[in-house]
Amino acid sequence: MRDPIEQLRGRLVELGCPLPRMQRMVREVEEHREDLMRSLVAEGMTTAEAEVRANVRLGNPQVLAENLMESLWQSSWCGRHRFIAFGLLPVLGFPLFWMAILVLNLSLAFALDFGWDQKKLSVAAENPVAFHHLTLVAYGADDLAIVLVALGFCLLASRAGIRRSWMVFVFFICTFYSLFIFTYVSPHHYTIGMNSHPQWIRGAIPLLIVGLTQTNRLWQVRRMHNPFTRVV
Amino acid sequence: MKKTNPSFLNGVPELLVLGLLARREMYGYQIVEEIRARSGGALSFGEGCIYPYLHHLEGEKCVSSRRMEIDGRSRHYYKLTNRGQKRLEELNSEWKRVTDGVALLMGEQYA
Repeated sequence: MRDPIEQLRGRLVELGCPLPRMQRMVREVEEHREDLMRSLVAEGMTTAEAEVRANVRLGNPQVLAENLMESLWQSSWCGRHRFIAFGLLPVLGFPLFWMAILVLNLSLAFALDFGWDQKKLSVAAENPVAFHHLTLVAYGADDLAIVLVALGFCLLASRAGIRRSWMVFVFFICTFYSLFIFTYVSPHHYTIGMNSHPQWIRGAIPLLIVGLTQTNRLWQVRRMHNPFTRVV
Repeated sequence: MKKTNPSFLNGVPELLVLGLLARREMYGYQIVEEIRARSGGALSFGEGCIYPYLHHLEGEKCVSSRRMEIDGRSRHYYKLTNRGQKRLEELNSEWKRVTDGVALLMGEQYA
């Protein structure tokens, strides 16, 4: 039978527990079991008997993992209101956050390149080389905004330790908006809106972010399971 | 609106844990052992349950925790915060109200 501590660790990973938190939870339970075994051995049990008794007294590791996660969810607003934070907020908030970050990025670029001077901007819009540069800056600001919003949601989800189903939903919403939100730059005009033609490259941005964060998580989990690199 | 039917039994583990931590800093195993010893074995539960409680109380900022090494062993110690102290007073007065009520209802043998 699988060791209860390994079962606890495995279930916590499945439930999306943030890794530093998981290390602490597992370490506490592991130390508790050690203390319990020492005291049972001191009472005259063999190590094997003490281990069996200690595991019984600690309780079912699956239930323990679920209770530990519940206590984690209850400790943050996002964890207590998962439907609002990871259901409604991405749907309603993605365009707003994207637009706010886009405006911030463009303002920063405008301040750095043209020193907030509208005339300089108008002159640049008439010059093909300068306009090409402007276009690159505008599209770059747009992509950066998508990266930051998707990354923000991804980090929020990881920190709150939500279930994978919520994570998939958040990722789906981020991808949907990235595919259909668009910006268009022409001399003296800047347009933003929703387009019916998906932009596949932009849509891949959330996929890349979620892929990278999940790969990093998997790598760290494997590292924890490896007895030569385990820190617990 | 004041609760007319308080969930006093749900608050018992919280009351016990906060009551013990009001005396000194302790780690999970110590808390479980202390509860068992002080209640003469009458109160015992799945020992792993203590950690969800402690983490919940920490999330509520009723207790704080730190890693400390004592006698060559490093453990996670919990201590009561000011908010925890207030919560303990609330739970204590609620518990007293309930036990007084039970004693009045059931007669002298429960007093």
